Amino acid sequence: MDEALRLKAVDKTFRGHLSIGSHQVLRGVSLTVPRGVIYGFLGPNGAGKTTTLKVITGLLFADAGEISILGQGVEDRSVRGRIGFLPESPYFYDYLTGYELLMFMGRLLGVPAAKLASRIPGLIKAVGLEGKDRLQLRKYSKGMLQRIGLAQALLNDPDLVILDEPMSGLDPIGRREVRDLILAMKDQGKTVFFSSHILADAEMICDQVAILVKGKVVQEGPLESLLSSEVQFWDVTVRGAAGMVPPPGCSVLTRLGTQLLIRVDREETLQDLLDRSRAEGASIRAVVPHKSSLEDLFLSHIPGEGR
Amino acid sequence: MASRGDRSTVVHQIAALASNTFKEATRSRVFYILLAFAVALLLFSSAMGFMAVGSIRRVVLDMGLSTVSYFSAMTAIFVGVGLIYREIEHKTIYNILSKPVSRTVFLAGRYAGLMAVLLVNLAAMTAVLSLVLAFFGGFTPRVFAAAGYIYLELLILTAVALFFSSVTSPVVSALCTAAFYIIGHTSSALPDLLVPYLTSTWERRLAVGIYHILPDLNLLSINNLVSNNIPTAHGFAIRAILYTVLTVAILMLASALCFKRRDLV
Repeated sequence: MDEALRLKAVDKTFRGHLSIGSHQVLRGVSLTVPRGVIYGFLGPNGAGKTTTLKVITGLLFADAGEISILGQGVEDRSVRGRIGFLPESPYFYDYLTGYELLMFMGRLLGVPAAKLASRIPGLIKAVGLEGKDRLQLRKYSKGMLQRIGLAQALLNDPDLVILDEPMSGLDPIGRREVRDLILAMKDQGKTVFFSSHILADAEMICDQVAILVKGKVVQEGPLESLLSSEVQFWDVTVRGAAGMVPPPGCSVLTRLGTQLLIRVDREETLQDLLDRSRAEGASIRAVVPHKSSLEDLFLSHIPGEGR
Repeated sequence: MASRGDRSTVVHQIAALASNTFKEATRSRVFYILLAFAVALLLFSSAMGFMAVGSIRRVVLDMGLSTVSYFSAMTAIFVGVGLIYREIEHKTIYNILSKPVSRTVFLAGRYAGLMAVLLVNLAAMTAVLSLVLAFFGGFTPRVFAAAGYIYLELLILTAVALFFSSVTSPVVSALCTAAFYIIGHTSSALPDLLVPYLTSTWERRLAVGIYHILPDLNLLSINNLVSNNIPTAHGFAIRAILYTVLTVAILMLASALCFKRRDLV
């Protein structure tokens, strides 16, 4: 059994009073998360990412479909002792100190007090909150709350860590630190399943991704198989060629005085363009190859945003 | 059948949730402001009793116990109605129920925590009333018994507030729980008020039947008996405890059933 998480045809509809104003949020969501990977669950705002995570963690109940977590059904409460969960923009009891929060959460997880006392200092160090754990949470910044949230998600040394938008609202340093923590979790053999709409972060650390659009998984798989390694197009900057007519197959994106930014789709056309530029005495300032990125893949599935 | 380990985990979880609820209340300024207000109200009502015509001891006891009773009930209602709703509204519940904590355990822990808070509140007010009575030579140990019965009423009232809190908003919960409290303190008069005007047997039976369905919180109160120095009837305590246990059990079960499949959006 090497699946950490499997969803099969999961539906979820939110119903208003007397079923007026029903809104189907998840439409047959299916995905498989192998063990030991970092899995990015991507999608635009409102796609249903948080709803999916809430269904997995037992906060919401699916209308249809199957959910298997570490080989156990979602209704089996004991499996939640083997997962760690960080909700989106985590809200904690702000009258507790960081240390008290971890003790409280540890007691709910059934971790013995002696084990908690030895484990908490290590976790606080791992998330970079040394010296801050005796402060009340109302004095924590957003980044510190995210870190204490990660610490509480790791209290039970979980096999599967589920994080909802862990990088959201953090500054670049905070995002890098969270990325490093996620990579460290993978090194410890944990499976990390996280939702995000920050594609650059996801592209840096994910082994696999699923893209959710309007409650449907539109693409899923290992990142390297989803993104082509071929160059998709080149952007060429040429200066001193105000009167130059680019060869067929080129499109001029911008024209600033004598400087042109030209996009080329084929390698042969690129060679033609470079030859013609040199012939006309223009200087070639830059040739930038573009491979397909996660953003391209993502946007290709968003109606009205595809290239 | 739950194993001993499971039971031990459940007990630890309830204790952790109760302790956290207690911390939540005692680390809030509102708790101390309410307590100070209650003590001030108690001293004021006692002072009013000394100015009243008649037996000073009786009037002070009557007003003092009434103040303790009403203020404790108001605290139970206004804190109780937000007990679950606030957790959902503030999203703090996400971190708890995503752990191996059952929703019933969560309700039980929150309930136990609030009952601990109300116990401290009641103990402080009873202590102040006892000191006032002792100062004027009117102290009776039955004040503690009266406080015990007030606590039984609080157990029921908090369970009612918890039930409504688990299914609806604080405003609706407060109105419904307050209605329960008012009905609970007036229902005992229903048979005496209605029966003389009802001509047929089935009408009388219906009136008595309705009375038995409605809550009767006067079954738990000995305030009048204490202030008038009348002994309580034989078996009163056992009946009051049984009534409380049964009512709380029914309300907790109803809360658990309503909350069990609720989506936490």
